[in-house]
Amino acid sequence: MTDTAIEAAGLGRQFGRRGKWALFDCTFQLPAGSVCAIAGPNGAGKSTLLALVAGLLVPTEGEVTVFGTNPGAARERLAFVAQDKPLYPQLTIAETLRLGHELNPGRWNAAVAEPIVAGGGLDPHARIRNLSGGQRTRVALALALGKRPELLLLDEPMADLDPLARHQLMGVLMADAAENGTTVVMSSHVVAELEDACDHLLLMGGGRVRLAGPLDDLLAAHVLVTGRAGDLGPHTVVESRTTGRQLTALIRPNGPLDAEWQTSEPTLEELVIAHLRSPAAPELTLTGETGTDADTDTDSDSDSDDTHTDETDADAEEAAK
Amino acid sequence: MTAVSAAPAEASAHHRSLRPRGLLWAMLHLHRAALLFWLLLIAVAGGALLWAYGPGADGAWAEYRMMRCAYSGPNRTCDYTGLSYDVYSRAVSLGSLTVTLVPFLAALWAGAALIGRELESGTAELAWTQSVTPTRWLLAKLTAPAVLLVLGTSLLVLLHRLVWTSNDELRRWMNWDWYVDSAFRANGVVGIAYALLGLAAGALAALLTRRSLPALGIGGGCLAVIVYGLTVLRPHLWPVVTVTRENESPPATGMPVAEGALTSAGARVPPPVCGSRDTCLAERDIVAYYRDFHPSSHFWPLQLVETGIVLALAAVVTGVSFWLLRRRTGAAV
Amino acid sequence: MVEYRIDRRSGVATYVQIVQQTKQALRLGLLEPGDRLPTAREVVEATAINPNTVLKAYRELEREGLVEARRGLGTFVRKSLGSAPADSPLRAELDDWAGRALAAGLEREDAAALFTSVLDKYFTDDHRKGDTE
Repeated sequence: MTDTAIEAAGLGRQFGRRGKWALFDCTFQLPAGSVCAIAGPNGAGKSTLLALVAGLLVPTEGEVTVFGTNPGAARERLAFVAQDKPLYPQLTIAETLRLGHELNPGRWNAAVAEPIVAGGGLDPHARIRNLSGGQRTRVALALALGKRPELLLLDEPMADLDPLARHQLMGVLMADAAENGTTVVMSSHVVAELEDACDHLLLMGGGRVRLAGPLDDLLAAHVLVTGRAGDLGPHTVVESRTTGRQLTALIRPNGPLDAEWQTSEPTLEELVIAHLRSPAAPELTLTGETGTDADTDTDSDSDSDDTHTDETDADAEEAAK
Repeated sequence: MTAVSAAPAEASAHHRSLRPRGLLWAMLHLHRAALLFWLLLIAVAGGALLWAYGPGADGAWAEYRMMRCAYSGPNRTCDYTGLSYDVYSRAVSLGSLTVTLVPFLAALWAGAALIGRELESGTAELAWTQSVTPTRWLLAKLTAPAVLLVLGTSLLVLLHRLVWTSNDELRRWMNWDWYVDSAFRANGVVGIAYALLGLAAGALAALLTRRSLPALGIGGGCLAVIVYGLTVLRPHLWPVVTVTRENESPPATGMPVAEGALTSAGARVPPPVCGSRDTCLAERDIVAYYRDFHPSSHFWPLQLVETGIVLALAAVVTGVSFWLLRRRTGAAV
Repeated sequence: MVEYRIDRRSGVATYVQIVQQTKQALRLGLLEPGDRLPTAREVVEATAINPNTVLKAYRELEREGLVEARRGLGTFVRKSLGSAPADSPLRAELDDWAGRALAAGLEREDAAALFTSVLDKYFTDDHRKGDTE
């Protein structure tokens, strides 16, 4: 459970010999079993990063490993749903799931995939070419989850879905993560969409990693301060704005804060927007072990194993009845 | 939902051993339309050749005998053709034309539907993120059609040869020459090799362009250039037989390659335009005429050399395809 | 059985909402000792929240001695929460206080703010951090 699912070191990808660097100097670690949001505006490098992790692209520089091996060798253990949800238009839904069975020998579990399709009221004999965008997303997710992946990579998974389907499919994803400890990585440019579901954040901007680490730790490492305009001293200022005499700033405190400042912890959205508005703000990468919020982390590390097993066993028992 | 899980389970109980699995299953289901088209094409062209071998040849032969073409000596009636002759000739042409066109059909299909469309729409990446490496994917994508192309084309070539060799006299009457491009390709292994080259060329074009429409154009275009080039080169793929004669050009037998006049020093010059003046030849120092050609005994050497070249090209093109795919995806084998 | 309702706009951390709703169910008698809490899977399937959030809430409840995780079976309620009975002297005093506040011309919000600030003074408990998260 405490294994590393993804580790990137100095990862970069350039398109064409003199082309644009879609991603550069990308370094982070993601522990197995976490649910990670890759946030960032369009063109931030989210899709490139996911394709590199999925083993569909070769890095121009640096390295990425999945479960300790190169992504190509971990192919059987990961599933990927690309942004435009590619599926074979000439197949029916049932044939598409059968394709999953045929191309993932020994891994495929129809009992996982079929309810996801059925949950959308889809006819298994409908052809993919006749499905709406949201319906295709559902089939693509069914294909990905039916493979029983240990790492699930989703590029903008919820973009085509109506709120009801979004909630339901997110529930399916989270249930899978709860039951099997699946590591889930999903990108989105709508942060609010991911806030409740994720425990890790990777914020990208302009091809770089801006923030990486456990969500709680990242939030705890920042403080939203308001007060009379003045010197923010030794603290790292991510973004500050002055209106008249009042100063509002998002900072990373280094040492105790002056008592005259009014402080509050930022929301995820405030954190993300402040960083995107200030491209020059230094990046911050936290890992579970060295995080600022050491207490909660050691806590979750020591307990999660047991509790996870309990839940899984309980579910297995239930299913047996 | 129950219907989905029940139907394949029942089927598997009956045909467990025969059922195609894995990538083969995927190939059969994804390219069902192409498979049906191929079977239909083979059925039509093969059927035409079979008909020509049986009733077609009988009809033409009866017509030939009725027109007394079998008698030697000048017989103008044989310059005219009857209905049976036409139908017979067309049926055989359909067979040879199909063998000639198959490489192009293979190139267009491989470039567009087999690989180009998958790269364009992202379904290739869908396959590569199942438990299938890009290398195995491409291997399946090329092997399955290659086997079907070889089997189908071989069948047509065998049938064509059957028709071709069944009645020498009829063939002479039809003016079928072994070295005519379509007959040369439909009568030997080179036709099969070209089909494989077409498949390989289309696949490489698709991997290079990653778009089905450009792949279709580039694959087909490059194949056309190669086919044309080899057709021009064909006479030079095996040493020619040269005959010389003193007073006139030697008669043509077999695949003509070159003809002209010889000087006393042995140099080859273009045939002079002299009319009947004897001094004309002397002025030009022409002592004899020559003709380079391939007798029909050169059929197999020419076939085998050209087949070797085409297969080597197909192998190189396929190798480049795999190299390209592996470089792009860093595919583990 | 308890069903959790996550309010995204409340500003209260999600795991705290689960803790609070569980306690509420205990107080109201919807959950009794021996009852099984829904599994993390069941909760996240219905609410689409992160499984670790549910586990964190359950650990919190376990730490407070309200529930216990039984290996292979699930998480069970250990004891009910003694709700302050309606006729307790404490309630009577509070009733009295509210009457005086009303007489003094306080609005509902004013009274609530006063009450909360006093609560904050006395009950600086360990999930205060969570409340502001």
